[in-house]
Amino acid sequence: MDKMLRNKKSILVFMLPAFILFTLVLFIPIVQSVYYSFCEYKGMTAPVFIGLDNYKALISDKTFGIALKNSMFFLIFSCVSQLIIGLIYAAVLTNIKAGRNLFKNIIYLPCVLSSAALGLMWMFIFSPKLGINQLLEKMGDKEPPLWLMDTKGYITLPMWVIAFVALWQYVGQSMMLYMAQISGINKSLMEASYIDGCTKVKTFRYITLPLIKPMVATAMSLNAIGSLKFFDLIFNMTEGGPNHKTEVLATHLYQQGFKYFKYGYASAIGVVLLVLCLLVTLFINKVVKTEQYEM
Amino acid sequence: MKSSKSAAPEREFASKKKLSPIQILLYAFLILICITYIFPLLWVFNVSFKTNKEIFSAPFALPEKITFDNFSFAWTAGHLGTATLNSFIVCVAALVLSTIIGSMAAFGIARMRWKGAKLAMTYFLTGMMIPIHCVLIPLFTRFAKMGLSNSLIGLIIPYLTFSLPITIFIMTGFFKGIPNELIECACMEGANIFQIFFRICLPLSRTGLFVTGLMTFVGNWNELLLAMVFISDDAKKTLPVSLSKFVGPYNTNYSQMFAAIIIAIIPTIIVYCAFSNKIVDGLTAGAVKG
Repeated sequence: MDKMLRNKKSILVFMLPAFILFTLVLFIPIVQSVYYSFCEYKGMTAPVFIGLDNYKALISDKTFGIALKNSMFFLIFSCVSQLIIGLIYAAVLTNIKAGRNLFKNIIYLPCVLSSAALGLMWMFIFSPKLGINQLLEKMGDKEPPLWLMDTKGYITLPMWVIAFVALWQYVGQSMMLYMAQISGINKSLMEASYIDGCTKVKTFRYITLPLIKPMVATAMSLNAIGSLKFFDLIFNMTEGGPNHKTEVLATHLYQQGFKYFKYGYASAIGVVLLVLCLLVTLFINKVVKTEQYEM
Repeated sequence: MKSSKSAAPEREFASKKKLSPIQILLYAFLILICITYIFPLLWVFNVSFKTNKEIFSAPFALPEKITFDNFSFAWTAGHLGTATLNSFIVCVAALVLSTIIGSMAAFGIARMRWKGAKLAMTYFLTGMMIPIHCVLIPLFTRFAKMGLSNSLIGLIIPYLTFSLPITIFIMTGFFKGIPNELIECACMEGANIFQIFFRICLPLSRTGLFVTGLMTFVGNWNELLLAMVFISDDAKKTLPVSLSKFVGPYNTNYSQMFAAIIIAIIPTIIVYCAFSNKIVDGLTAGAVKG
């Protein structure tokens, strides 16, 4: 048997298809992408090496600044809000007696729906003359807010709206992760704390919370990477507008690359995105490790 | 996954009493939350049956008469019919191929005895951190040269590749869990390595196949960016792309656009309602491991 499992030919047969695909479709393009980011490359002509010029242009690009700011806002907002709301939902759901599956499934539903379709749905709900504003007008509000058209403030109103829609759509995922972890906790631990006179709230604080810390890290890294890649909702709700105020890195990349065909410049944005993803993953992995020592 | 079964221990004497005030409060909270989830969907559903005038004159009333004109118009003019078919072809092809190729690689990593196994695993896992946006431009130019842009095959290849890391990761876990004795037995009976893989290991890892299949399918079904960049021909567009093009600032017939949104999400909702527990648990299991 050992001979069979060490057979070089069969190992090749098993590994080769995945390896070839992976290298051709993922790794070579990444290397190319990094190379393009140092090039002047506008679609029709061949790429010409220009050094760091694309990155210098990025620094003075106002829209890129907005996109970076919005992406960071999004990253922080989704990590924090999903952690808090997801934990609250999970805590409430584990403490009700009947109907847990029903509520759970309803909250999880948007996670499996197309975010393109949901983005369009919310675009209509927050459009100036439909949805929420019709409701507000009925209740007597003469000048309802413009929601997705507003441009005031450091973080503009449309950005907040989109962030809340994203929270609405994806919080089910975090909730399920926390619930899965909570259900894995040994029941005798809980019973012991009840016998010692703890209330439910105290048990949650001192038993449940510390035990689900590793899952917090998992959920957070999923959220963080997801929010950096975030594209569908914004593209369908505002397309980065009004006046580029809701641009994030992904939409900016799409605009530069596939509307203006500045491939080199868009590649530079892609590299920034890649570096951010790697940094966030590394950072969260480090935090996980220290947490596990604490336990 | 056994997450659904009584996660919180109740105090024995409490469970026999009627609903306590706290329980009522919790239920009220949950019902309020669920309204925010169901009401928007219902609103879109309701409006999609109305005429354009009705949307503005009586926004929250039920439609005066039920017609399916909006739906049939969106279905044909928005190319949603072909788009659904395209999405289906692309997702099924990517699902089947990535499952086969991914499990083969996972088997090679988990079961075969060679030095590079760990390194290969790391190589595949780094793929999970890479955002699809970074490879968009090189892939696009390459595929355009190869004549693969504007074809479904040009979508299937990247979808399949981007599904590989999670497939390999989860399936490796399942293959490692298969007891050695089973494989030894099969070997004594004269099975070759491919029979062991297809006849023994794959059937034993059905849960893993289900979980990875589900994750890949849902992810690819909803993917917008790559499909939008690679496909410009109306006859080849996938569902999210056709929908995003049909529903936009240049179209002023709202009820048709709402009908298009409903058409796009209703298949998923039906499937979800039928198998919701399995789907939720499967996707969660996948995310926990990923």
